[in-house]
Amino acid sequence: MFGFIIQHILSHLPVWFWPSVAGSGLLVYFLSGFLTRFPGLKIYKWLFKPLGLVIFVFGIFMFGGAGVTAIWQEQIKEAQSKVDAAVVASKSANTKLDQVRKQKNKVIVQRQVVIHERIVQDAAKMDATCKVDPVAIKDLNDAAINPESKK
Amino acid sequence: MKYLLPILLLVGCSSVRPPVVVSAPWPDVPPSMMEACPDLLPVDTKTDKLSDVVDTVSKNYTQYYLCAGKIDDWNNWYNTQKKIYESTRK
Repeated sequence: MFGFIIQHILSHLPVWFWPSVAGSGLLVYFLSGFLTRFPGLKIYKWLFKPLGLVIFVFGIFMFGGAGVTAIWQEQIKEAQSKVDAAVVASKSANTKLDQVRKQKNKVIVQRQVVIHERIVQDAAKMDATCKVDPVAIKDLNDAAINPESKK
Repeated sequence: MKYLLPILLLVGCSSVRPPVVVSAPWPDVPPSMMEACPDLLPVDTKTDKLSDVVDTVSKNYTQYYLCAGKIDDWNNWYNTQKKIYESTRK
């Protein structure tokens, strides 16, 4: 949770923040001689230079980190836009696939209707010359049953 | 040489950069492809007409072609979706 809060604060800092921290560090470093002229600050003479350097180094480090984070965020945005485009393409492909299948099924069913009409027409001729034994029908029906299907 | 430290510090953060992971959602499947293939139609056992047998067999042929179409669709769907998914990873 603490890490998340820190991350959240860091990600909302303006671009100029860390360069200014580094700049402030440099200012403290270079103006350390001048600052020690103030009576109240004289006792901290030993502190200004190392403190300025530390602030400068920290500012530069964080500026680098912010830059890298910005690049990373840009890459995430780019990847997300690719994913969004893929979702649209996927839905479009599914719609096309569905339409093509409906058309193909229509052709198959139409063909079945034509064949059925032909069988009806030829039924008298077929039935006059051939009588099917019940055993043949039983064998055919048994062959039509899928042994793996649930009963 | 004196600028080396700041430059090193600037690039130092890039070495701990996490990889960019944005996962694409699992693609939808058209509902018609999810329907199971029906069982084959049996011939009426009370009939002895060849025309009835031929008619049932031809209907089963139709069912086969409709079901085979679904298999083609699954292959087609897989290949298309795979291509789309791979395009997100380039």
